Amino acid sequence: MKVLAAGVVPLLLVLHWRHGAGSPLPITPVNATCAIRHPCHNNLMNQIRSQLAQLNGSANALFILYYTAQGEPFPNNLDKLCGPNVTDFPPFHANGTEKARLVELYRIVVYLGTALGNITRDQKILNPSALSLHSKLNATTDILRGLLSNVLCRLCSKYHVAHVDVTYGPDTSGKDVFQKKKLGCQLLGKYKQVIGMLAQAF
Amino acid sequence: MAVFEVFPTVFFLTLLSLRTYQSEVLAERLPLTPVSLKVSTNSAHQSLHLQWTVQNLPYHQELKMVFQIQISRIETSNVIWVGNYSTTVKWNQVLHWSWESELPLECATHFVRIKSTVVDARFPEPNFWSNWSSWVEVNVQDSLGQDILFVFPKDKLVEEGANVTICYVSRNIQNNVSCYWEGKQIYGEQLDPHVSVFHLSSVPFIRKTGADMYCEVSQGNVSKGIKGIVLFVSKVLEEPKDFSCETQDFKTLHCTWDPGVDTALGWSKQPSQSYTLFESFSGENKLCTHKNWCNWQITQDSQETYNFTLIAENYLRKRSVNILFNLTHRVYPMNPFSVDFENVNATNAKMTWKVHSMKKDFTYLCQIELYGEGKMMQYNVSIKVNGEYYLSELEPATEYMAQVRCADASHFWKWSEWSGQNFTTLEAAPSEAPDVWRNVNSEPGSHIVTLFWKPLSKLHANGKILFYNVVVENLDKPSRSELHSIPASAKSTKLTLNRHSYQVWVTANNSVGASPASIIVISADPENQEVEEERIAGTEGGFSLSWKPQPGDVVGYVVDWCDHPKYTLCDLQWKNVGPNATSTVISTDTFRPGVRYNFRIYGLSTKRIACLLAKKTGYSQELAPSDNPHVLVDKLTSHSFTLSWKYYSTESQPGFIQGYHVYLKSKARQCHPRFEKAVLSDGSECCKYKIDNPEEKALIVDNLKPKSFYEFFVTPFTSAGEGPNATFTKVTTPDEHSTMLIYILLPMFFCVLLIMIVCYLKSQWIKETCYPDIPDPYKSSILSLIKFKEKPHLTIMNVSDCIPDAIEVVSKPEGTKLQFRKSLTETELTRPNYVYLLPTEKNYSGPGPFICFENLTYNQAASDSGSCGHVPVPVNNPPSQLGLMISPENVQKALEKNYMNSLGEISAGETSLNYVSQLASPMSGDKDSLPTNPVEPPHCSEYKRQMAVPLCLVSPPPTENSSLSSITLLNPGEHYR
Repeated sequence: MKVLAAGVVPLLLVLHWRHGAGSPLPITPVNATCAIRHPCHNNLMNQIRSQLAQLNGSANALFILYYTAQGEPFPNNLDKLCGPNVTDFPPFHANGTEKARLVELYRIVVYLGTALGNITRDQKILNPSALSLHSKLNATTDILRGLLSNVLCRLCSKYHVAHVDVTYGPDTSGKDVFQKKKLGCQLLGKYKQVIGMLAQAF
Repeated sequence: MAVFEVFPTVFFLTLLSLRTYQSEVLAERLPLTPVSLKVSTNSAHQSLHLQWTVQNLPYHQELKMVFQIQISRIETSNVIWVGNYSTTVKWNQVLHWSWESELPLECATHFVRIKSTVVDARFPEPNFWSNWSSWVEVNVQDSLGQDILFVFPKDKLVEEGANVTICYVSRNIQNNVSCYWEGKQIYGEQLDPHVSVFHLSSVPFIRKTGADMYCEVSQGNVSKGIKGIVLFVSKVLEEPKDFSCETQDFKTLHCTWDPGVDTALGWSKQPSQSYTLFESFSGENKLCTHKNWCNWQITQDSQETYNFTLIAENYLRKRSVNILFNLTHRVYPMNPFSVDFENVNATNAKMTWKVHSMKKDFTYLCQIELYGEGKMMQYNVSIKVNGEYYLSELEPATEYMAQVRCADASHFWKWSEWSGQNFTTLEAAPSEAPDVWRNVNSEPGSHIVTLFWKPLSKLHANGKILFYNVVVENLDKPSRSELHSIPASAKSTKLTLNRHSYQVWVTANNSVGASPASIIVISADPENQEVEEERIAGTEGGFSLSWKPQPGDVVGYVVDWCDHPKYTLCDLQWKNVGPNATSTVISTDTFRPGVRYNFRIYGLSTKRIACLLAKKTGYSQELAPSDNPHVLVDKLTSHSFTLSWKYYSTESQPGFIQGYHVYLKSKARQCHPRFEKAVLSDGSECCKYKIDNPEEKALIVDNLKPKSFYEFFVTPFTSAGEGPNATFTKVTTPDEHSTMLIYILLPMFFCVLLIMIVCYLKSQWIKETCYPDIPDPYKSSILSLIKFKEKPHLTIMNVSDCIPDAIEVVSKPEGTKLQFRKSLTETELTRPNYVYLLPTEKNYSGPGPFICFENLTYNQAASDSGSCGHVPVPVNNPPSQLGLMISPENVQKALEKNYMNSLGEISAGETSLNYVSQLASPMSGDKDSLPTNPVEPPHCSEYKRQMAVPLCLVSPPPTENSSLSSITLLNPGEHYR
């Protein structure tokens, strides 16, 4: 409970919180019907592609901004400290069906949304004067939120998927400052890597 | 009875003292050993927290005790710290004590034990220590978890300059661990196989977000993980500076200070330092919300003295400063207000203002500053509530700015801020006459007088000048004065005056009135122009002028000059000099280098008549000439030439021309006399001649070689140097003989021309005399030749002997004749028409007794044709005879053989002669056959060749076989046409 209570920033995480970070969670009851409050847009896939491209275009800048704000030794030890060694990151298979890819994208976006929320929270405390980093993190989180909505809409409207097990990004609230900085850097490195792959896959 | 009454009391006291003794003995003997020792840890503060109790402490008794604590690390025998802790111990009290370790507790196991002794004054006997408690082990490593590597301390906060000990704990001793401090690898000492320690001395402040250290564990070359810490290094908290408090209204004290550096750190590890005000007399304190000021409410009117302590504090340090003051000595008044001016006139004004009321009988000291005309005046005045001050000696028509500030008159602490206002004094009549000067140009019957004046200074104008009045009065002839009103914008006016003396008054006028008049007298006599101009040398500071004093009384001298002498509107300037001065320095920023300035010095008589005393001219700085003269080369001979540049103006140069340098280049290495060798700027050598007289504008360059190439260059020079570089002009001296030839050929030409004219005029006479149309054979020179050859059998045939057999009728027009003359070859042969007067004999072959002449006089066409068709050669003519006669070679040989001398005389005529001569020949009979027997003209060389050898045609030496009886030889002079 302690872990979960501190790191939940995105609305999604709050809404979907059930048991704990790191474990697959059911979004809706198994027998729930797929119900969407608003009708989905016609060109959802285009919007998804566009959002992925937008995220892909800003991912590297965000990564650079992050590790620069952390100071030494991060900028000069990216391989060691910011390598994309995130163990529980949701997988993605580019050669799968659109439905499978959308489901996997959904999981990834949920994961990244929570991770970025934690990073944003940590950096606002640790680096209160790094306003450009905060702004970039917030903008990325906003796009991820929109992307998640679109993916959900697509899954629901076309494939009638109302239930996706998801995992959340690691909670850093109990970790020491160095661990937070390092984990954030690793997550953003992973994000930069994954978002490029996703942009190509769609 | 008394004994019995006292006994119970004594007994009671005895019993009481006995009980007290018993208890002391009990305490002395019982071991007061610390028991129940418990040790807890605080990893964040790296501290051990001990708590224990004291056994056997009497009930409700307090004893002063000392506890000795031992701390060992890793093993009990390794005691790293021993210390005493003194306290008063109560019965059943749990004692607490903390110890901070420089080494993170996670890095090593610690052991603690304790013993005690009583140090209470009630036990004078020598104290003895209790036994040590048993060792208590503190092992934090066991609770770390299963990670392969740990680094401590986590997120520690230290102050800049502190020493920090860092360690790592590696679970596997096989792993290799490398640690880096801010990216640079550091090396520590091994505490045990799993733990290494790093000592960082005097850590610096790096950034607010902390300094990072991380360790990487690896096996071989494979990284197994990275762990790190962030060390938050805070800047050292500074003592607040310039702490002071003051009041503006006796209600609030406003305290300010300079906080120094902000010690805030990221991650909320340490906020900015806090400031607290503490007043000792009232015992009140206040947490300040701003980092550099704080307001303190004055609640008690009676409190006059305040003792403030300002405490700055952060997590690591506390600093404080203190001030003690009397409230009435710290009054900083508020700004005066309602500043105003009353009764403003040209020179005075009354300034009023108000101040905020303070305490009763509070007196302000106010300071007034008055700014105007670039000056500042300061006045002080004491007031209670409303202030006023009379400002006097002001300048008319001047804008002033007055401001006022006030302070506590009793105990000066600080001036208030300024409060100010602008005002302008009224105008007054100009106080001074304008400075007037004049320039007089004399013309026949009149003077053109230009009056100049300088605008009055603001100080003297006393307002805006609206116009100038110029009054002209004729001094020689009583008449009405003329008034000219000139607008203020004009600085001069032109007057045309008769050749009389005039007095001119000039006044400046503003809205209030006129200035005193400036008087100047124009003399009827023209200005003295015979004053010689003197050259002076200027300096950067200007021109120093001196003059001889004017005889008689003078009221002063005036020096005038033009700022822009090259322009028509030369901007006349003048300077007034006192009557006793005989020199002055003219200095102005307008003087430019290279400009010649002309100064005129006038003496002003008591009648205000100006008399020209001296003229000076000079340059503030002479420059090198700006241009070179245009040099003309004159009188060029084979040995000399003259250079002249008489049109070169020396007056318009940027310096006084001192002379000229003439450079001469030639192939000869030696310079000519008067020339000296010089090296040009391009390194080439040449000869140089210096002319020291600027008016000498010609030079004869002599001793030159004929038909030689010279280059020259003439440049003027001033004291600043030569003129600009320019190209040399090239001159080549002519050939000596060619001159002579000219001397010979020219007369010859004219002689020939004269002869030709004469010949032309007398052509008829010459023709008749020298070459009549029909030459007289008897006058022929051939006769003399014949005589010379002594050929008696050869005679000249008379014309009368010739029986003509044909008459050639010439019917060609005159134009043909001209055409023929033009070109012999082009003209087609025209056969002459012959009228045969005698019967012809076709086969006539013998020699005939006649001579037939044919030349251009008779037949133009024949000579043109080159053919001899009309002179048919008889078919049976002996070849030998023909060959003899017609072969030009034979003729030539004959000529050469017999008349070589004659040939030599006429050779010149061979080239252009064209004529055909008739020849008395036996063949002449052939002509008979021409009309009847036109034969093709034979090769006509026999006649044609005569054309080439006509002048002295001589008969070949007659041979015996020759049938030729006679030959006619023509004098060349007779056959030319």
